[in-house]
Amino acid sequence: MRHSVFLFVPIVVLIAFIARPLVAFEANIPVLVPLTGFLSLEGTSQRNGALLALENPPKNVAVKFGVADTSTAPENAVTALERAISRGKVSAVVASMLGTQMLAMLPLAIEYKVPLVTMSGTASITEMGNPWIFRFFPGDAITKVAHARYVVEELGKRRPAIVYQTTAYGQSGHRHLNETLKKLGIESVYEEGIDTSVKDMLPLINKIRRSMPDVLMLHLHSAPTALFVKQARIAGITIPIVTGSAMHQPSTAALLEPFELNGVCAESGSSPISGGTAGIEKFTRDYRERFRSEPDAFALGQYDATAMVLTAVASGATTPDDIRDYLSKNLYHGLAMDYVSDGKGNMAHDAVIICYSGKDRRPEIVKHYQALDSSY
Amino acid sequence: MQFIQLALNGLALGAAYALIALGFVLVLNATRAVNFAQGDLVVTGGFIGAALASQLPLPGYALLPVVMLAMAGVGFCVSALAYWPIRSRPPVAVFTTTIAVGIILQNGLNGVFGPEPRSAPPLFTGSNLDIYGLAVSRQSLAIIAAAAFLIAGQLFLTNYAQLGRAMRATAQDRDMAAAIGIPVARMIAFTFAVSAALGGAAGLLLANQFFVTPTDGTNLIIKAYIAVVIGGWGRIGGALAGAMLIALFETIISAWMDYTVATGLLYVAVLGILLVRPSGLFGEVEGRRA
Repeated sequence: MRHSVFLFVPIVVLIAFIARPLVAFEANIPVLVPLTGFLSLEGTSQRNGALLALENPPKNVAVKFGVADTSTAPENAVTALERAISRGKVSAVVASMLGTQMLAMLPLAIEYKVPLVTMSGTASITEMGNPWIFRFFPGDAITKVAHARYVVEELGKRRPAIVYQTTAYGQSGHRHLNETLKKLGIESVYEEGIDTSVKDMLPLINKIRRSMPDVLMLHLHSAPTALFVKQARIAGITIPIVTGSAMHQPSTAALLEPFELNGVCAESGSSPISGGTAGIEKFTRDYRERFRSEPDAFALGQYDATAMVLTAVASGATTPDDIRDYLSKNLYHGLAMDYVSDGKGNMAHDAVIICYSGKDRRPEIVKHYQALDSSY
Repeated sequence: MQFIQLALNGLALGAAYALIALGFVLVLNATRAVNFAQGDLVVTGGFIGAALASQLPLPGYALLPVVMLAMAGVGFCVSALAYWPIRSRPPVAVFTTTIAVGIILQNGLNGVFGPEPRSAPPLFTGSNLDIYGLAVSRQSLAIIAAAAFLIAGQLFLTNYAQLGRAMRATAQDRDMAAAIGIPVARMIAFTFAVSAALGGAAGLLLANQFFVTPTDGTNLIIKAYIAVVIGGWGRIGGALAGAMLIALFETIISAWMDYTVATGLLYVAVLGILLVRPSGLFGEVEGRRA
């Protein structure tokens, strides 16, 4: 009996040791994104991408996370960040893609020394010398170069008409488009900014028609992009339309009939539903299964961003400072592209051009621009 | 030719705006308070239409009464939540509660249907009509006809039906209406229901040609508010004229100049109208301003 007890105890201890979770590191990564308000479509994609990564961490990492809606006011984002930090040690934060919210969160990131990983395209967030910000979506300085180069170099067009949104997003894209077109020796034949509340595009289409462009370049939000394409097709406009990234979102394409999409192309950071690699196809399958919707570039970009943070933790980066070091010094092979910091926290440097065939709503990647930067 | 095309588009857009403004004025007259949830009620109608269309393979004209009925129910709920508990408070309290209801609707739609833009089915399917070389959209014509029918029906109800008379009496003097046996509470709830039904109809009509997103309500309520200010606070005819004027600027004026300039000119025109006629084009109904 005594012998068997002596044997039994070590066996139990051994089993307990073997069966213990293989978790070596812990991470707390709050997700603070806009789920309501005018950026809810993009914010929801951002959240979903982050969740997919957080729910499937590396085996040696235990993740704690919570989701908070930052809506659209900067103070909401600040409150959400302060609340998340007050609840315990935070490793890194998945931060809002709304530029004005990011600008409000940046001073707090310095104060609390916590890395913010975001999809925000607002150029200024990485131009303030803040070492805690990491942007995983190509900004306008990259995507608009791809946009303009595709129109001029691949389509051979010389008379573009530009329609942009009068929001901060639209004006930034417009500025970068014009800068690149100018470098390429092209001047637009017509330009107009429109408010997001504009419903009837026919007056605009008539004005554009009078300027006789050979291509239409749009930089609009999701619904206005679909609205413009639909009404342009009804009005008999048959010249190519090359749009901003809103058109790559499956929910935008869903508003249009396949024949209306014929001749429509768009720039984007990536296009997960277009496939390309086994990793992207698995991501798309998992995303559809988990969220019952189609993934877009924001979801894939945020997935990659969050996965890079988790990889950092898995490799032993246990403090926010370690994670910041890892993000700023390492190359990460993500699903959408390779990510590496340019020293300012800009991690994404590639863009793709997608085009619709007119037969369905699934775009094909027709051009991949690598390592673009604003010095082009 | 181009002008006729634009005018037709403007008329269709104005007709939909007129439905929104009409619903806005009805509640304004009944309660003396601005229903800031009206834009979100329009959006709710659009989403209900889009959701029903995905479940029931019905054309838009068959969905229209269903959407209006559902929205009438929503209108009853809005009156019960945002008006009835604070009916004896100053109208400014109702402003606040309707803003809250609007936010609840907006976020509710976002939660239930998702943030993606949606499209509702057209009232009548088929390609554009070719009338003397003019490509006339069936949906534009259908919007104009449907809105005209609903506005005429509403005016008939208000002016000639017993129920409408009771609504008007309630709007004119609530205490006197109660004194002569009119069920004031029911009349106000009914007004909210009619207003929401008209807004829902506008939502369904707009959602096909112009899509609908959960956050569209804010822009729509601004347009309804401006329409009412232009036409005269509390004037049904004035609100309809104001809605048409806004649509005119959005389609005709912006065809010859920048959208931003056209929008600026619209506000200059509003200021001009208020300068010459401080009570709006058709004058203000006495006692309607809070």
